[in-house]
Amino acid sequence: MKKKLNLAPVFFVGPHVVLFIVFILIPTIYGIYASFTKWNLMNDPVWVGLDNYRTILFDSESTFHVQFTNGLQNTLFFVVLSVPLLIVIPLMVAVALEHKKVKMKDFIQAIIYIPGLISISAAALIWSLIFNKQLGITGNLLGSDTVWAAHQPYAWIIIIVITVWGGAGGNMIIYRASISGVAQDLYEAAEMDGAGAFRKFFSITLPSIRFPLIFTFVMTTAGAFNVFGQPLMMTDGGPQQSTHVLMMYIRQLAFGNGESIAGMASAMAVLLGLVILIISALQYYVMNRNAS
Amino acid sequence: MSNQVVHKSNNNPNLSVKHIGKGSDKSISKYFAYIFLIVLCAIFVIPVIYGITTSFRSQTEVVSTGFRLFPEKWIFDNYVTILTNTSTAPILRWLMNSIFIATMHTILVVIVISVTGYGYSRMNFKGRDTLFFVLLGISFFPGVVNLIPSYKIIDALGWVNTSWAMIIPGLAGMGNIFLVRQFMKGLPKELDESARIDGASDYRIYISVIVPLIKPILIVCALFSFTGSWNDFLWPVIVYTDVEKMPVTAGLLLLQDIYGNYRMIGQLMGSAVLAIIPTLVLFLFAQKYFVQSINLNSGIKG
Repeated sequence: MKKKLNLAPVFFVGPHVVLFIVFILIPTIYGIYASFTKWNLMNDPVWVGLDNYRTILFDSESTFHVQFTNGLQNTLFFVVLSVPLLIVIPLMVAVALEHKKVKMKDFIQAIIYIPGLISISAAALIWSLIFNKQLGITGNLLGSDTVWAAHQPYAWIIIIVITVWGGAGGNMIIYRASISGVAQDLYEAAEMDGAGAFRKFFSITLPSIRFPLIFTFVMTTAGAFNVFGQPLMMTDGGPQQSTHVLMMYIRQLAFGNGESIAGMASAMAVLLGLVILIISALQYYVMNRNAS
Repeated sequence: MSNQVVHKSNNNPNLSVKHIGKGSDKSISKYFAYIFLIVLCAIFVIPVIYGITTSFRSQTEVVSTGFRLFPEKWIFDNYVTILTNTSTAPILRWLMNSIFIATMHTILVVIVISVTGYGYSRMNFKGRDTLFFVLLGISFFPGVVNLIPSYKIIDALGWVNTSWAMIIPGLAGMGNIFLVRQFMKGLPKELDESARIDGASDYRIYISVIVPLIKPILIVCALFSFTGSWNDFLWPVIVYTDVEKMPVTAGLLLLQDIYGNYRMIGQLMGSAVLAIIPTLVLFLFAQKYFVQSINLNSGIKG
């Protein structure tokens, strides 16, 4: 009897545990291990200790060091540019949508959300047309003769526009659901005291949606560090490697043309992973502390 | 829109609030809200419309007339060309691959998350919560670290250039299981307890009691899984080298070269449009549940 009872949990939870071990746990451990090796994906990895890390971090002569610092810089630049917009714009939309007198709320919500359903490669084709100097808006309406993808700061503008366009909808829905859950009597009481729209936003709305704000901030930042598709499709890392992000280097080293340098790529991946972990933890810690 | 009704009913207190205080302040903020929303909606929707309408334009019209939202003359040649050009850009093949991958992945996700969610929320076994939180904790580790070894595992399983490479690994994630577990924990205990007293097994309770109740959250997870799988980009670019086997997102990357330099803009846009349609249709169907279950999802609220 008891043995029968013990089998059911294995049936319900077991298959996923196996999937988790095979596709998350083992590759994660192996990825960390591989970062200490010389590995080309084909032969067995050869242990080299901290060599990869030393090269990447300190050997200024090495191309890996140059690639890593350039890639990390560009990635950080992307994070700093995109994350505030991916928080503020969706928040403004959600607040505007919760305005009592605004109509067609769900229609507007759908319009803002739809770009998020479009894959980065399809979106890139469409936006390349928009930014095309002969055919698109920039050439025809703005009268600009510049090939946007080939010049800064336009190359970054393209990447940020397509990122915000595709990413705003998800956060907006979270904010909207959260704001609509804020107790209405708080607003009523504030109105009695003569509070205006701004005061209500900063004193009631923002503190009430603290958790979703922290949640989306941490998730959006972590996601932004993995940026890959937008620069690959829109600028291919150019001009002069200024939009060549770390994920592009990692993929190139591990899976690009020529001999795979998967060990070095793994070390870069671990370093990127560490940056993401540290920044997520810091964000969580600081925001949680400030709020309470 | 159907979900307007849903949202309003959820928001009833919102509507019944009387407007006390500064009336003028309210109408000004209303106009600000409207202007902001209208401008943003235009920015968000124009690229989609321009992409769609350009797929119905001839090359000469695109090049000669410049930016114009709607074509002078609607043509379908672009679609005929992309659907019949099977040698260099087999987009029909790619679409079929994507449909197979995303559908299989979604079905399996729904099975795995509902079964596993049941295990973690409605069953009692030793170490249940420890196991759950250990897996959840590990899954917070940034995925970039397991990217390269994941390829190696797919290679070892013989799944490179097969659909399994995209269908199976994504099932291991914890995000959806977390959501489903939260949702199931909110269901009253009496439901399965009375069934259990009647002698029903866990399998039976799962199928006939729990699954019907968690339909909304399963539909939302299914939508996320389908669009996530459909739009995945980095992974397919890594695991597919065979043009015939790849999903449409990876295929579109090749199109940049094949139809490159904007010699065939209509075809490029037509291909992008074809790649958008399935997720768009799915979203329109699932929208109702979408708003519902996120409003219900108290886990996300502060």
